[in-house]
Amino acid sequence: MMNACGRWPAIALRSLLLLLFAVVIFGPLLNLLLWTVAEAWYFPAKLPIHWGFSYWGRVFRPEAGAMLALGNSLWIAVLTVLVSTALAIPAGYALSRRSLPWRSVFLLVFLLPQAFPAIAVDLNIARIFYGLGLNGTVTGVVLVHTLQGLVFSVWIASAAFAGVHAEQVEAARNLGASPWRAFFTVSLPQASPGIIASAIFVFLISLDEFSGTFFVGAPDISTLPLQLYTAATEGNYQIASITALLLLLPSILFMLVVERFLRADVLAKIGT
Amino acid sequence: MKLERKLMCLALGLGLGLAAPASQAETVLTVVSGGSQNMVDYITDYLGPMFEKLNPGVKVKALGVGPDDAGSQKIVEKLQAQKSAGVKEWDVDVVVPNQQKTGEMVKAGLLQKYRDSISTGKFAVSQSAQHALGVNVGGYVMPMFESQTALAYNPALVSNPPSSYDELRQWVAKNPKAFGYNGLKNGMSGVAFVVGWMYAYGGNPAVIQQGPYDKKNEVSWDKALAELKAFNQQVTFTPGNAGTLDMLNRGEIAMGPVWVDMFYSWKADGRLPPNLKLKLIAPGMPGQPYYYAIPAQARNAALARKFIELATSPQVQANGIVKRFNWYPGIDPNAVKSQLSAKDWSELFTDVTPADLAANAKPFPLAPYFTDMRERYEARVQN
Amino acid sequence: MWVKCMNQTNVLPRLPALQNGRCSLSRVAPHVPVLLLLVPALLVVFVLFVYPLGYSLVYAFRDEKLGVWGLMNFRQAWLLYAKDIFLTLGVSLASSFLIGFFAVAIAGYLSLGENRRAVAILKWLYRWPLFIPVVVVGQMMRTFLARNGLMNNALMALGVIEPLQAVSFLDWRGMIFTFVWKQLPFATLLIAGAMAALDRSMLEAARNLGAGRLRVLCGIVVPQVLPTVLVSLILSFVSILSVLSVPMMLNAGSPTMITVDMAWRVASYSDYGVANALGLISWAMCAVAACFYLRHGVRERGLQ
Repeated sequence: MMNACGRWPAIALRSLLLLLFAVVIFGPLLNLLLWTVAEAWYFPAKLPIHWGFSYWGRVFRPEAGAMLALGNSLWIAVLTVLVSTALAIPAGYALSRRSLPWRSVFLLVFLLPQAFPAIAVDLNIARIFYGLGLNGTVTGVVLVHTLQGLVFSVWIASAAFAGVHAEQVEAARNLGASPWRAFFTVSLPQASPGIIASAIFVFLISLDEFSGTFFVGAPDISTLPLQLYTAATEGNYQIASITALLLLLPSILFMLVVERFLRADVLAKIGT
Repeated sequence: MKLERKLMCLALGLGLGLAAPASQAETVLTVVSGGSQNMVDYITDYLGPMFEKLNPGVKVKALGVGPDDAGSQKIVEKLQAQKSAGVKEWDVDVVVPNQQKTGEMVKAGLLQKYRDSISTGKFAVSQSAQHALGVNVGGYVMPMFESQTALAYNPALVSNPPSSYDELRQWVAKNPKAFGYNGLKNGMSGVAFVVGWMYAYGGNPAVIQQGPYDKKNEVSWDKALAELKAFNQQVTFTPGNAGTLDMLNRGEIAMGPVWVDMFYSWKADGRLPPNLKLKLIAPGMPGQPYYYAIPAQARNAALARKFIELATSPQVQANGIVKRFNWYPGIDPNAVKSQLSAKDWSELFTDVTPADLAANAKPFPLAPYFTDMRERYEARVQN
Repeated sequence: MWVKCMNQTNVLPRLPALQNGRCSLSRVAPHVPVLLLLVPALLVVFVLFVYPLGYSLVYAFRDEKLGVWGLMNFRQAWLLYAKDIFLTLGVSLASSFLIGFFAVAIAGYLSLGENRRAVAILKWLYRWPLFIPVVVVGQMMRTFLARNGLMNNALMALGVIEPLQAVSFLDWRGMIFTFVWKQLPFATLLIAGAMAALDRSMLEAARNLGAGRLRVLCGIVVPQVLPTVLVSLILSFVSILSVLSVPMMLNAGSPTMITVDMAWRVASYSDYGVANALGLISWAMCAVAACFYLRHGVRERGLQ
């Protein structure tokens, strides 16, 4: 309190830095929002000349393919979640046992696809998929997305199963429940918040995936990121920005829910 | 726990709802276009609905694979994959590839001859309807439209536009960074600018365009490319064909090479200031047609022929290609001209006159020269 | 993204433990049913990752037109893209270091800051880019950083720069800005997590002895969380190396990142050889980064 006057410059500096940071974070976002409602924005106008929603109509008209791409994106994301969860539940259950031999090696194996630049793998997957007739199919794209999401689903599932109270499983077994029954009535329900959190991550990864879809899916399977990329390179900034907004909403929504499912104790166990 | 179950149900419901198959009652004619968005829109919004009206029960599905070699390469891969897999009925009925890849597809036996069996075949009179970068494609293709590259400029910023590469170099020296192009990896308008440069300074333009192929004709390229490298220090690089137009729109550059068809599409959309103009500079810049072709084992080949017949009829070429989009017709201009008022016809040549076109519209180089040229640019100019 | 990273700290140091544990057959046998549960997931990784990876390593040395083996793809890659290789390395390194610097600064303020409101605001602010898909970031930056984009327009309106001074940032600078913008929150999250786990009493003691916050940060906090900082740097480096969409959207002209060149070789020429050679080069960069980390980890443990 004594040197309150002396602290004013520090407070001003702090506020200024925070403001600057806010501008850096939100400036690009604001710019994106402006483009979604700019009908014409010529040089040298600092802000759009005409405002309006006419480009929204263009994006959402049935021929434009944005709705189709949105449908594809969601459908592929849902399938990716189903496939990777189906793979991750048994794998995570196995890895949750600390006594498992070579456990760290297995954990590391699932990390590998994330630890190398994906693009060189993606283009070779595309090449292999051509031979198998998987290029340009939903199956092919879902497989590529699953690979990208697997580390999250397996690691989180493993942490979630590790958090299951062993005594309760024991108790169920002592009461005569079969291993299957014990798994489905005790372990799985207890692990489900973690598994749902991992599903949300996988969903978002799939929604955002670009390079795998670019090589394996295009042109037959168009997803929102591909549409966005095409619109951006064609210089359709309005269309690209509206598509970007479409992509942005689920990410923000899901990120707000994910904290509910990812308990701190599960978080602390991931990958250990 | 409740929320979790709800989410699960939602996810499943969403999945199942989307999985419901679309109705298969109608025949779907699949058109894969290796062009910019404006060419895809032309089929989606104009040609497709017209064809559907004339042929009830048919649905035209247009698929864009993106412009330039990369886009057309996707078409090649798609067809090649089905051929290698021994598929009897291919899932593409009409393709719209660029010149380079059309030549490759004809050589690889991926296309069928159809031109002599459609009534509009006789209108395919241009040189490019016979040869695509040195490959004989007669019979396999109908040109959709001819496009041309030219310099677009903003008259408010450039009062006296250059009319040749020499003048352009002087102008750029005086106005550094005001000229922009999209390099080589990023769209054909940039490639076209480089090709024009090589025609001007690389020597032997006639042999490069017509053949025969001999590496000896490339000896003088290095000097021309070194000069281009120096020139590049004073220009702005733009992100793509559309990027050049966009930077013109945003006033970030004052001049740059563009595709004439895209230029007019953008102007019509209100995405370019109305005052922008075009100039085709000497000794010439290249242009190319996009072709309609039918894959060798297209599922709906008969329907595909009908579609192309409509697309290359003088009426559609006049009203769709020329009047609506201001693109140069792909078929015999005389057949198209008679369908239009003198005013509509002359509007096509507002900035670039027929005399300019006759003198300065060039083809792209022979395929092997073209490949060499691009690789040499990557090695000498870019790297 | 961030979940995996929190834990790399835990996984990698565990590896040496493997060499000590002998897994005799009799010890493995009771685990076989459980191990079988891993098979489907492992199969996916092998078929979709290990096999294509091997494919790419092999075909980097293959000239498919001539049908011979050799280093010609690397020669060609060097001839055409040497500049891009250096640019990629430079951009990735510079971005990673900037990320490390800002992440330490933000995380440091979050754990040492005394004004609770400022800490709360900062905490709320810094996470945003985490939620935004990479492609969307590319599109935003493309319009934001252009010569007459919103950023320059705002600076002009404020009178900071003259219209003629405005330059486009859609080159290496734009890429660095974009990568830092997108990757900063997850590095910060990691580092802030590690800082939060530190023993507060020592920090308090140092503060009580009159050490400034900056000194506490540099002298006490950072040395203790250095492994986490390194992990976050390396992970940022790897993810930046593999981004295709951002350089394609911001700056596909020359010079650019090698991911664009790889896509270009495949898309335009279906030349997998040179593309795979470039892929191998980017993996070599990752491998160097990973070795650096592992060696550092070994040294740390050696000291203990």
